Amino acid sequence: MLLEMRDINVNYGKISAIRNISINVPEGQIVTIIGGNGAGKTTSLRAMSGMLPLKSGEIHFEGKRIDGMAPHKIVAHGIAHVPEGRRIFPDMTVEENLRTGAFLRKDKAKVENDLKDVFERFPRLHERRRQRAQTMSGGEQQMLAIGRALMSDPRILLMDEPSMGLAPVIVEEIAVIVEEINARGLSVVLVEQNAVLALELANYAYVLESGNMALEGPASELHDNEHVRAAYLGL
Amino acid sequence: MIELLAQTGLNAVYAASYISLVAVGLVLIFGVMGVINFAHGELFMAGAYVVVALYAQRFVPFFIAVAAGLVFVGLLGLLMERALFRPLRDNPLGGLVASIGFLMILQALAVMGFGVRMEYIPPVTQEVIAFSDKVRLPISRLYVIIAAVVMLSLLWYFLKRTRFGWALRASAQDPQAAALQGISVTLTAKIAMFIGAGFAGLAGALTAPLVSVNPYMGHSIIVTAFIVIIVGGVGSLEGAVLASIVYAFVHTFVTTFYDGVIADITGLMLMLIVLIVKPTGLFGSADRA
Repeated sequence: MLLEMRDINVNYGKISAIRNISINVPEGQIVTIIGGNGAGKTTSLRAMSGMLPLKSGEIHFEGKRIDGMAPHKIVAHGIAHVPEGRRIFPDMTVEENLRTGAFLRKDKAKVENDLKDVFERFPRLHERRRQRAQTMSGGEQQMLAIGRALMSDPRILLMDEPSMGLAPVIVEEIAVIVEEINARGLSVVLVEQNAVLALELANYAYVLESGNMALEGPASELHDNEHVRAAYLGL
Repeated sequence: MIELLAQTGLNAVYAASYISLVAVGLVLIFGVMGVINFAHGELFMAGAYVVVALYAQRFVPFFIAVAAGLVFVGLLGLLMERALFRPLRDNPLGGLVASIGFLMILQALAVMGFGVRMEYIPPVTQEVIAFSDKVRLPISRLYVIIAAVVMLSLLWYFLKRTRFGWALRASAQDPQAAALQGISVTLTAKIAMFIGAGFAGLAGALTAPLVSVNPYMGHSIIVTAFIVIIVGGVGSLEGAVLASIVYAFVHTFVTTFYDGVIADITGLMLMLIVLIVKPTGLFGSADRA
């Protein structure tokens, strides 16, 4: 197992946000976490990248225990987090944003190569590389956030609501990008409110409801599950 | 008349130089740490006292004393980061109050070490560039101008062209997102404090032979620096430099043609007008202010 979350509990102050959540991400797969507003999807993701302290539980990545590490240390292990709302650096240029993603890397030649790759994958970013990031559209900013995460040369990509606030055409584009990234051997954890999209992309899915694990299974099975269809797919 | 204008202009360029060194440091610290460093004027004062201790009292060469001032005050900045701002992270008001406490400590130390008096600092050089009979630029002022141009250019290069410079800007714009790129916020805080404090120390050290050095000299420079960063737009380095120049010209010309008190009032009026017309300052944006 590439990433393993065991019995995670996270509190916000005295209020419990997620309870006894266990999530497994096998090498090379796309795993999705779906659920409604406030179900604990983002909390689970932020726990993985060290942005939230755990109340209890363990997180292992490639056999190493990573819970309790600071976020900037966890990145070094190969976990890249594309945060909710994209969180690009607004006053920096597109290229500066991307290069900041490679902050920890010493392999200069490969960084240049990866930058070229990102620019090939996202031609819009290449066109706008000298432009300040805040001047771009939502879809372009999402691509920048993904590109920035790829620049750390990660083993796994944690994506928080990449489709949020984007036009359907752009959402399709993002979906293709996620598939391409995964086809190159990168594992993905996808948190989505757009359950249709998430179940279409993922191999395996977890359903969170008010901080508890309600359901899990292969994405195709959950797609046919009565409860999931009624509650999340609107079918 | 032309000559008086030219001379006053030169004086203003000199004033703009040390004001911008102080103000840029203050903005850098605010940007990265999120705290307003009230002790910044006392860091300027500490730089001046390094020159008193080394150059005036122990006859160390002036430029070595100035370099020591930069480094020593930079280290004071690191001490502030470790002792005050790191424990009070996520508490900007606490950081501000702690910096006021630190200001008083520095003042008390200066009084204990040197006494409450104006220090005599022998002039570094008496040489003057004479453009004409009445337009003269003392070399010791030229040093300040050169230092400001060089240091601000180096800072610009660092922030725009180097990995750690990007890291600094990234953590100023979004500390959490910066951490997700592997940037340690503690590291960028240290860099910002060393540079910000070091610049104040450098300005204090370089101007020490030109101003009256006493334990309370930090007051007037911090008031000036606050006006400048508000006019420039809190959080904007370019704004701080531009506003330093504008403020220095207005203040110097009013001082020369009217008097110093009117000049102080004019400076404050300038700030009020900018706040009324553009509340985010000349270069500020609403989301950063």
